[in-house]
Amino acid sequence: MEELGRDFLSDLPQSIIETILTKLPIRDAVRTSILSSRWRYKWASMTHLVFDDRSATQFNDRMVVEDRIVNFITRFLFLHDGPIHKFSLSSSYLQSSPDIDQWLLFISRKDVKELVLELGEGEWFRAPSCVFSCKNLMRLELVRCELDPPPNFKGFLCLKYLNLQQVLIPPDDIECLISSCPLLESLTLSYFDSLELTVRAPNLKYLILEGEFKDLCLANTPLLVAISVAMYMTDDIAEHFEQSSSCNFDKFLGGVPKLERLIGHIYFTKYLSIGNGQRRSPITYHHLKFIELYQVSFDDIKEVLVVLQLIMNSPNLKALQISGSSNTTAATRAPDLQFWDEKLSTDCTLGQLKTVKLTDVSGVPHEMKFIKFLLEHSPSLEEMSVTPSLYVTEGRLNMLIDLVSFKRASSQASIVFIHEPA
Amino acid sequence: MIEADSEIIKPEILKAYVWLQTSDGSIQQVEQEVAMFCPFICREIQSGMGSSKNYPISLPSRVNPPMLSLILDYCRFHQVPGRSNKERKSFDEKFVRMDTKRLCELTSAADSLQLKPLVDLTSRALARVIEGKSPEEIREIFHLPDDLTEEEKLEPIKNTMDDPRIRLLNRLYARKRKELKERERLKNIEVEEDRGDERSVDDLLSFINGSNEDSKTNRVSKSKKKNRKRKDHHKAAPSNCTSTSNSTTASSDAVYTNNKESNELDSVRSSLTCHGNLLPNPCNGTKLHDIEDNTIPPAEDEFDDCDLDDDIDPALKEKIDREVEDFARRLNSDWPERMQQILSLGQERRTLQLTTNGNGSLRIFTSLDQRRK
Repeated sequence: MEELGRDFLSDLPQSIIETILTKLPIRDAVRTSILSSRWRYKWASMTHLVFDDRSATQFNDRMVVEDRIVNFITRFLFLHDGPIHKFSLSSSYLQSSPDIDQWLLFISRKDVKELVLELGEGEWFRAPSCVFSCKNLMRLELVRCELDPPPNFKGFLCLKYLNLQQVLIPPDDIECLISSCPLLESLTLSYFDSLELTVRAPNLKYLILEGEFKDLCLANTPLLVAISVAMYMTDDIAEHFEQSSSCNFDKFLGGVPKLERLIGHIYFTKYLSIGNGQRRSPITYHHLKFIELYQVSFDDIKEVLVVLQLIMNSPNLKALQISGSSNTTAATRAPDLQFWDEKLSTDCTLGQLKTVKLTDVSGVPHEMKFIKFLLEHSPSLEEMSVTPSLYVTEGRLNMLIDLVSFKRASSQASIVFIHEPA
Repeated sequence: MIEADSEIIKPEILKAYVWLQTSDGSIQQVEQEVAMFCPFICREIQSGMGSSKNYPISLPSRVNPPMLSLILDYCRFHQVPGRSNKERKSFDEKFVRMDTKRLCELTSAADSLQLKPLVDLTSRALARVIEGKSPEEIREIFHLPDDLTEEEKLEPIKNTMDDPRIRLLNRLYARKRKELKERERLKNIEVEEDRGDERSVDDLLSFINGSNEDSKTNRVSKSKKKNRKRKDHHKAAPSNCTSTSNSTTASSDAVYTNNKESNELDSVRSSLTCHGNLLPNPCNGTKLHDIEDNTIPPAEDEFDDCDLDDDIDPALKEKIDREVEDFARRLNSDWPERMQQILSLGQERRTLQLTTNGNGSLRIFTSLDQRRK
C-alpha cells in the first residue's frame, strides 16, 4: 500500500517545508528527522527557532527539567546547519547560566536578525557582550536582563523593534542605545525604575512606555504615530514633579505632528499638566484620531486643561475615551468654574468626533462641564456612553439630570447611561 | 452568470475578466478583481498579459485546474473588503478541511502564485496534521518511505560505520524487523505461533528453572551488574555485553510490539556504553536515552535471537549460542507438561510490560509463580 501512494510532502519547496516546521513545536520539528531519509536533516536548516516551555516535558524536579532543556537546546544548536534568523528563548525553568552565554555566542555568529530572551524569575540574566555584536539584528526583545553595552558599541544599525522589559541598564546607556539605532521604528520600555528619558529616534513610529519615569522628553521623534504611556508614581517622582519648571506637555507632545493615536494611563495627564501654561499649544495634531486617557483627575483644573488642550488641537479627532478618577469629596471645594464660561474659546469644533466613552464618571463639577462642552462642540457625534463610577451611589440621579439638560450640537447623538444596579 | 446579473442591474459597469491558462493547456476566464488577489497574476496583468483569450496568462506548472478553482474560491472570498476578521477566520478553517494530499498540492500551487496568506494557512494546517503524531502515523499519512536504518534513527549525527557495536545494534534491529514480518505473514498458521511461544517458554523457563540457577543468577546478576556499573573493564566487557544482549534478546521475545517502553533499548545502550566513549554519552546511558526521547518517540525495541554472524568475537559468540541451545534443550526436556500451561498463558503474557533488567525478569517470575499456584 505504501508503494501506491506518492510522497507529496517532501516534494514541496524547502521554503514551505521550513514554514511548516516553524509552525510545529520545536520538538516535533526535530522528530521529523526519523521520518525518512529525505527528512533526516530538513529540520536542521530551520532559520526560525523558538524554544519555549512546550519543549519541556513535565517532571516534578525543576533541576531535571532545566537539565533536559539545556541539553536539548545545546544538541539542537550543535546539529543545526545554516543561518539562524530568529532565536527565541522563553522559559521559566532556565536561569542565568554559562550554557545560555554559549548559545548566544553561537547565535551571534549566525547572522541572527531577531532575538527574544525571557528567562525565569530568579537571578536576572546578564547579556553577554556577543549580543552587541549581532550586526544584523532587527528585532530585540529582552525580559529580566542586565544589559551593559561595551564602550565601543556603536549601536544596532538595523534594529527596528526594541522591547525591553525589566531590564537593568545604566540610564545614560539606554538613551545612547536608542539614539544609536537609526532605523528604530518601535520602542517599548516597561518597568523601568526612576528613569529620566529623552528619546531621540528620527524614525520612531510606535512608542510604548510603562514604569516610573521621572522625566520624559521626546526630543527628536517627528514620525511618531502612536504613543502609549503608563506612568507610575513614587514619592521620589512626586517630589521631582513639584520641582520641575519646564513645560512637560511641550516636552513630550511638542514634536509629534504625525501622531494618530495617544493612550495615557495612571499619572500621564498629571505629568503633562505640570508646568503647563494656560495657552494653546502651537502644534496642531492633524492626524490625531484616537485619544484614550485613563485616571484623569477632574478635580485638578490643570489636568482638565491638558485634556482640553489635546482635544482642541485635534480637529480630526474621531474617538475619545476618558476614564476618570476623581475624588468626589475633595471636589466640593468651589472649583474655578468660571473658566468654562469665560476663558474657554468657543471657536473649536470637533467636526469628526463620532464616539465618546466616559467611564468612572464621578460627576464632579468639572467633569460635568467637560461633558457639556463635548456635547456642544461635536456636530457629528453619534454616541456618547457614560458609565458612572462604582463609588458614586447617590449622585447618579443628579448626573443624569444634568446630562439630559445639556444641549447637543449633533442631532444624531445618543447618550447611553450605563447603569448597573448595585 | 454574475456578469449577466450585473449587466441587468447596472449596465454601465462591466466586470473585467482575465484569461488564465493552466498546466494542462485549458484556458479559463476569471473576474479580474478575483484573480488580482494573486501577486503573480497581478504582475502578469500589469505587464499586459491575460486581457484576451489569445494571450492568456500562463500559470506555473504546479497549478492544475482543480487547484486553480480552489485558489480562486479563496481569492473570491477574501478580496471582498467588507468582511470581518471572524468571518475570514471561519472561512479559512472550513477551507482547509481536505485530505492531506490536496493540502500539499494546494500549498505548492499557492506558493507558485505567491499567494502568501494561503500558503501560510495551508502550512499551518499541515503542521497541525504533523503535530503530536508518531512517526509511523506521519509516514502513513504522507506516504513517506521508512528508509532509515535503525542507527540513523537513533543517532542524528554522522556515526562511524566502523563501530562494531553500532553494526551489532543495526543488525539486531534488522533481524527483528525481518522476523516481525515473518510472523505477520504466517500469523494464521498455528505452528508458527507455537514456535513463537516456545521461544518465550525457553526464556521464561530459564528463569523459573531452579536447576539452572547458577547460570540464571549469573545472567541476572550480570545484567544487574551491567545496569549498575556504567564502566567496565574492557576485557570482561565483551562477554558481558554479548551475553546480556543474548539474554535480553531471548527474554524479550516474549515482548511483542505492544511494548512501547524504551527500557530495553536503554539497557542495551547502557551495556554498549560501558565500553567507553564510542557513543555520544559514554558515562550516562540515560542521556542518550534522553536525546532519543528528544528526537525520537520510542522506537521498536524487540530483539532477535542472537545469531550473530559478523566478525566480532566469533568464538565467544559460539560459546554463548551453545549455552542458549543447551538451556533450551534442557528446559524443553524437563518441563514438557508445563508447556501446555505456559502456552496458554503466553497469550496474556504478551501484554505484560516487561523490562529486561533483573527486576523485570523477577517480575515475570513472580507472576508466573502466582499463576502456577
